[in-house]
Amino acid sequence: MIVYLKAGTQLREHLKPDVDYYTRKVETPEGMTLKQILESIGVNPGFVAFAYTDGKMKNLEYIPNDGEKITLQPPVSGG
Amino acid sequence: MADGFTGTTLRINLSNGEIKKLPTDRKLMRDWYGGRGIVAKICYDEVPRDADPLGPDNVFIITSGILSGAFTPGGSKVEFGSVSPLTNGQGDSNMGGHLGPALKFAGFDLVIFSGISPKPVYICIDNDKVEIRDATKYWGMGSLDCEHVLKQDLGEDFEIATIGPSGERGILFSCISHDFGRQAGRTGQGAVMGSKKIKAIAVRGNKAIKVHNLEALYKHTYDIIQRTKEHPNMEPWQKYGTSFFIRWSNDNAVMPTRNFQTTWYEDVEKIDGESLVTKCLVTHKACFGCWMNCGKYSKAVIEGKKTVFAEGPEYETGALCGPNLGMHDINHVVYINYLLDNYGMDSMSGGGVMAFAMECFEKGLITEKDLEGHTMKWGSIDDVEHFLDMVVNQRGIGAWFAGGTRKAAEKIGKGSEKFAMQVKGQEMSGYDGRWAPGMLLSYMTADIGAHHNRSWTITVDMAEGRETTEGRAKIVIYLQHIRPLFDTWCSCRLFWGELDITPEEYAEAMNLITGWSDTIDQALKVSEKIWNLNRCHYLERNKANGRTFDYPPARSWEDKIPSGPGKGKGVSLEQVEAMLDDYYRERGWDKNGNPSRALLEDLGMGFAADNLEKSGFLGKPLEGGIPKVRGEKYKPKAF
Repeated sequence: MIVYLKAGTQLREHLKPDVDYYTRKVETPEGMTLKQILESIGVNPGFVAFAYTDGKMKNLEYIPNDGEKITLQPPVSGG
Repeated sequence: MADGFTGTTLRINLSNGEIKKLPTDRKLMRDWYGGRGIVAKICYDEVPRDADPLGPDNVFIITSGILSGAFTPGGSKVEFGSVSPLTNGQGDSNMGGHLGPALKFAGFDLVIFSGISPKPVYICIDNDKVEIRDATKYWGMGSLDCEHVLKQDLGEDFEIATIGPSGERGILFSCISHDFGRQAGRTGQGAVMGSKKIKAIAVRGNKAIKVHNLEALYKHTYDIIQRTKEHPNMEPWQKYGTSFFIRWSNDNAVMPTRNFQTTWYEDVEKIDGESLVTKCLVTHKACFGCWMNCGKYSKAVIEGKKTVFAEGPEYETGALCGPNLGMHDINHVVYINYLLDNYGMDSMSGGGVMAFAMECFEKGLITEKDLEGHTMKWGSIDDVEHFLDMVVNQRGIGAWFAGGTRKAAEKIGKGSEKFAMQVKGQEMSGYDGRWAPGMLLSYMTADIGAHHNRSWTITVDMAEGRETTEGRAKIVIYLQHIRPLFDTWCSCRLFWGELDITPEEYAEAMNLITGWSDTIDQALKVSEKIWNLNRCHYLERNKANGRTFDYPPARSWEDKIPSGPGKGKGVSLEQVEAMLDDYYRERGWDKNGNPSRALLEDLGMGFAADNLEKSGFLGKPLEGGIPKVRGEKYKPKAF
């Protein structure tokens, strides 16, 4: 299945977007968690504070659906 | 002159009621940039080194910086400054909202208060008309309550800052409130305002700000607005603000839990960002000219207690009044946020003070008898409410805690100093540094005590190794220059930190407003000057070598993290010492933590070296000389 991951700031550089400035298209087996997907593409999940999709916060145990667009929110520069 | 400045500085002597409008010292502004810089320089120049911070010889300054109100992203801040009663060093604090721009629109770059009013007053600035008005009827009101009443009395179009009973009574961690939920929290600026008997400042202004190149500034900002609209971080920020960070902090074992006893909270899902948004959120709130609306206006509904409203909790209050107090209900955290806001207490220090009290109670160092028959248990909203009532009224041992955790620990003794989680008298921000050594170094070396706003390194620690302290000093120093630069400009740093607006773009905005042509490196140099000025000021006031004051509480190296993902982790005292040695060397300070003449002269601050030498605390020359460049921008190798 295909998942679209979006990120800004330094996380974007490590995501290596290939669809537009912020977005990378990832082909992945079904049933993988976001954490597993990130690890599979070389992005440390510890640098993602949470994922955001369909207006809701998700943790990294979330299992995406085919075609889903997910924003990866890095930690803030301090609260 | 079209340079973004109004050209007028207000000096108000509260002892004799004299109000003077003077030309703004533009050279001073040029050299120190305004905002945090100008308050530091004025305090350094005008406050006698032995002045009581709550006495007539301290000054109290309000200013908006170059970027505030001038059509720039996040240009909303107002800066307060004085010698801090909490740290006995230079203190400053800022807040968003609308007051900074209003001050500029009224025609004033700076307001400098001296002396003490014989009776409670509020300052009313209505464009050119400046009055000291009787505030007797407002004295004693809560911060939020007072703003509400003043808005009714003066009009909704006044921007108003208030103190609560906490500031009136000289509680050292008192804050200044504005816009029903924005606070200038740190360093006790509310106590200084209260010591001068100023209950409130009300400002209304509708003049234009003349800038150097309006057309280019407009295009510059418009382009930024378009880019940030598309930024992936914008929508989650708008929905959650900083509260989303609670879970991440907990998962990565930096969450202060039960007075920093541990770093992972088992009930985090009851008080995190999602619970705030689903259970308590009423509406989002934004500052002047900002479309990020990170503010979250919330309602707390608790059986047996009145329903209250508060802006927040943002991350810091959420952490320090949530897991740090063992709270299990987001409504309780919002309620605590409201109590602290209306009393006019810094919610960060307030959380730290309460957590310290809870641990003292847990250990039997304070008892029910001390607490008027009450307890001070983890997670008890009733205990919190009663305790804060004791503190704000300074009843019994409440008076001990009114000075913050350092002073409370001095009174309580019995080893409690170990877990009074503060540096230089200011309570720690909402991150535990035992498994984030750069963060610990940031706390140790911040000029205003343990405040993350000067430097925040958790992701650096994670990338570089959480159990090594190598190389942290240079990164901390760079952050201590770039982050406070936003306080000098009076601009919110979130557009930089979260939405990819570069420091170069901020510098460009500054130049378009002022007509200057400073690079970002030149701006960072100004920030470095301010940093060192504050260090010199601190040493002269506190009459000891700098190293004396740069240690965290002993829990930081004696207690390894006992539970959660960070179990067993922590730094040693040797690592703490080594980090300080490295930091001083990279700063151009000697081993005692004192700035050297070579460094100060390199910064064009020979005057500060002369003064420091007279005080006996000038740093010794460094073997091999000072580093040519102090601080290094972090370039992450890999995530």
